[in-house]
Amino acid sequence: MSSGRGPVFEPLGYDGGGLVIPANDVSLLRLLQLADSAIPVGGSAHSFGLETMAEEGSLTPDRLESFLHDHLQEAGALEAAFVRRAWRARDRRELSQELSARKPARESREASLKLGRRFAELLNAVIGAPVLDTDVHYSVAFGGAGAVLGIAEDAVVLAYLHQSMAGLISACQRLMPLGQLAASRILWNVKPAIARAAHSETNQSEEVWCFSPYPELASMRHGSLETRLFIS
Amino acid sequence: MHLNNISGGVLAGDRLALDVTVQPGAMAQITTTGATRLYRHRAGARDSEQSTTFSVGENARLEYLPDPLIPYAGSRHTQRTRIRLDSGASLFWWEVLAPGRKAHGESFAFERLRIESEVRTQSRPLLREDFLLEPAKRPLGVTARMLQYSYVASLYVCQEGKPAAFWRNLEDALNAEAAQHTRSGETMWGASTLVSDGVIVRGLSTSNRFIPAALVHFWRLGRRALTGEDPVPPRKIY
Repeated sequence: MSSGRGPVFEPLGYDGGGLVIPANDVSLLRLLQLADSAIPVGGSAHSFGLETMAEEGSLTPDRLESFLHDHLQEAGALEAAFVRRAWRARDRRELSQELSARKPARESREASLKLGRRFAELLNAVIGAPVLDTDVHYSVAFGGAGAVLGIAEDAVVLAYLHQSMAGLISACQRLMPLGQLAASRILWNVKPAIARAAHSETNQSEEVWCFSPYPELASMRHGSLETRLFIS
Repeated sequence: MHLNNISGGVLAGDRLALDVTVQPGAMAQITTTGATRLYRHRAGARDSEQSTTFSVGENARLEYLPDPLIPYAGSRHTQRTRIRLDSGASLFWWEVLAPGRKAHGESFAFERLRIESEVRTQSRPLLREDFLLEPAKRPLGVTARMLQYSYVASLYVCQEGKPAAFWRNLEDALNAEAAQHTRSGETMWGASTLVSDGVIVRGLSTSNRFIPAALVHFWRLGRRALTGEDPVPPRKIY
């Protein structure tokens, strides 16, 4: 989509038999692994306020799909913009500081930082080199990983949003009567909204908009729930 | 100090700018004489705009307590507020956004409202909130935005240099107070530390009548924690 720093690692190469391994194949496989819900960064411990919303009855199985659709236009577009900026950025720490200022609810902010740290530590460990700052938000670490690995910017943004939606839907399966088929259908149906959020016009400019007072309030009030399945 | 210039209302194409410096060690309380009314957009005019900057000097205190922002049907407006805190400077700032002229049955009938807010210290941003509200394109009365509520209120309490533990304690105290003010289906409040040097209290409400008293309670808690004394409310409203 635009120029960024080149890959630090050369994914193209010859195997012992002299076969050319297409660089894009390896990039795709790496992206699939980074965006897999099984990646051990602890994402499944967080609901980002959805637990409060489910508890209050404002988020139900029949409202989940439209919620995610709206959520992608706000928080989704914000995160997408920061994945994109991180892909292009030199100073990802400053970027992450700005994102912290844009997350007024402590639990959600700390969850995002914690996942970012574990994601960055995991990638650094797998690669065997400190390629990523570890004190950054998840979206910033993910965008940074994409740039470092030479994965196309748009694909990185899309993959981040997709795993994020998959994580929220998975949290909802534990919070409300939502079956596997219904959950799969919702993740299937929100893909166009994911694509729109990834390419939202606001991503192309300096302006990033996000208005989600109720989800933020739900996160602020999460600590006062009597029983909690999730850290956030 | 009472700001009078916007009490008549903001017309399409208006551009208002206010720059305030609070000198080191000084204290300022700034409010408005009434709600800021945003009038209907006029064809060919620019979106109206109100830009306010505050520079709060070393160990100075700013209390910025404007009346609600009321966007009338068909209005288009941008509100920008930028606040910079020097070392030891403190801030008490509230904002209330109404859905329109409730008495006329207006609710979210404005065309476009941009609200850009920033609070920062010399070294880092504490708060960045950029709202773009276009209710006809992206409905506000949904779970991902305002649920069934129609008013949104915020109070920011900041002081550069206080340690994280201080703010966590204040967050707990404010959340306990927030629970007292929350009435299911009518009004809902919560509090959180900002990334550093401050806290936010946020509320959603079906009516403005719950908001002023709640904000004053939160403000009082914040003032007691930061200055050890009760605040002096602007004389007009309470």
